[in-house]
Amino acid sequence: MAKILDKQRYKCAMSAMQTVQAIERAIPVLHSGPGCAQKLSNSSGSSGYFSPNIYPCTSINERDVVFGGVKKLESTIKHSLDVIDADLYVVLTGCIPEIVGDNTEEVVEGFQDAKKPVIYASTAGFKGNNYKGHEQVVDAIIDQLLERSDIRVKNLVNIWADVPYQDEFWLGNLRELEKLVKELGLTPNTIFGYQRGLSNIKRIPQAEFNLLVSPWVGLNNMKNMEKKLGIPYLHYPTLPIGAFETSKFLREVGRFARVPEEKIESLIAEKEAYYYYYIERYADLFLETRVMSKQFTVVADAQYALGITKFLVNDLGLFPAKQFVTDDTPREFREKVCSYFKELNFGIEAEVSFETDGYKIHNEIKAHDYHGYPLILGGHWEKEIAKQTDAHFLNVSWPVNERLVMNSYYAGYDGGLKLIEDIYSVARTRFN
Amino acid sequence: MPYKIAVASSDGENIDMNFGAAHEFFIYEVGEEGKYALLEIREKQKEAGGPSFCQDGCKGRGCEGSHENQPRVDFIADCRCVICKKIGFHIQKQLEKKAVSAFDVEGKIEDAMEKITWYFHRMDHHQSLRGMANETLIGKEGRE
Repeated sequence: MAKILDKQRYKCAMSAMQTVQAIERAIPVLHSGPGCAQKLSNSSGSSGYFSPNIYPCTSINERDVVFGGVKKLESTIKHSLDVIDADLYVVLTGCIPEIVGDNTEEVVEGFQDAKKPVIYASTAGFKGNNYKGHEQVVDAIIDQLLERSDIRVKNLVNIWADVPYQDEFWLGNLRELEKLVKELGLTPNTIFGYQRGLSNIKRIPQAEFNLLVSPWVGLNNMKNMEKKLGIPYLHYPTLPIGAFETSKFLREVGRFARVPEEKIESLIAEKEAYYYYYIERYADLFLETRVMSKQFTVVADAQYALGITKFLVNDLGLFPAKQFVTDDTPREFREKVCSYFKELNFGIEAEVSFETDGYKIHNEIKAHDYHGYPLILGGHWEKEIAKQTDAHFLNVSWPVNERLVMNSYYAGYDGGLKLIEDIYSVARTRFN
Repeated sequence: MPYKIAVASSDGENIDMNFGAAHEFFIYEVGEEGKYALLEIREKQKEAGGPSFCQDGCKGRGCEGSHENQPRVDFIADCRCVICKKIGFHIQKQLEKKAVSAFDVEGKIEDAMEKITWYFHRMDHHQSLRGMANETLIGKEGRE
């Protein structure tokens, strides 16, 4: 029987255009039917010099399917190089050219001597969702732009976190991770966002190690870089939110980078003192808000499901109901991700389900007894189930419709405080 | 079921005429296993009257009454597709309304016919188009 996917949580692999858009002055050139970029036209924070509405596209039609679209692709790339002033051109192939077998690789290799770099990634929509597409674009950058370097700049660290634009807080989180790493005395290097474009990409091979802050997205890229560029990596699966996890993060990264122990501990002591100053001052709010939930459910991608679960259990003392990871995690990572949810304080283990069907998720939420008002953190689709179960609802994962997030972040000590602010704001508005 | 293909050509060998400029179309009929044969050479009559215009002046951009294009569309409306060197955007849309595909390519009629009949054959028999462009497909002669 045909399966109907209810309540979309991600987009097709070709939405990796957003990953390219996040790199400053890089533009995707699409080789697909007309309208593929239209699905991104209402994403938050993506207008500006290059917005999805103006991406060059070969807009192939029936004639190109029958007679091959390579000529049209070649002319589109050539004219993009002439008309658009960008630093990096990434050719992305869509569903139809991949099925009929257009030889994109050959066309792009013909532009090896162009005045700007042209690379390609095969991101056909049927190959997976945009988490996979993101990995493919990063792989394309590694394979086609970077070479192994003999220079190693001391203390240079490449930081890789979640998927830009798919994760609403991507920019804020990335900057906060950079700041934390810098305070350890290391030099962070990222390639997404403001003023971090091609020049930072060129510095990737000179780093001492890669830091991956994500449960599974990007793990294959790390292994690729280890093989090709000889850079070791540290895989830290949990996005650090709040004091408990961020201190752990600083210790692990510091130890891996051989930062002196006293420096790490003094930094942590200083940060925690500041963080707990706030917690102490608002202790009456935490202890006496009787309408606060006891149990919570997170419906998000693996990164937020894991990060928020750990924060709410370890830092705020809530109890986890069932968590839902909706990014269609590949099978080879599911067991590992499940095991991360079992490493919580006080021997608590959170149950996690890799369900992507919104209907089933909502039925399970409705059926569960939360012993009070449920706390639901999820996408906009969860708003209706929150109304039905009379829950506190906070919109943190895609699609984020009723909030504007520009540079806010949930990572780090400050991010933890911000998440507390958001959760309690919801609880307070409802019962004033 | 057999279908017809119209080709805008001057000599029956090459596709070298634009759709509007062609004064005759070579009509091929395609049979069961994708075998095709020349059916007739249709000569275009002179259009009746001069260019007509609508009251609201949309100039054929999608309204039903694009009078100046109608005779040219009706002329080959019984064909499944038309092959020519170049074709205008508006007339292509009018043809699409009559379910006539337009292929604007250059080259030998034989090569184009091979590709197009193969393509329609695969579509009609619900077979995959995988590998069509770089010719890694199961031999073009094998029309299973």
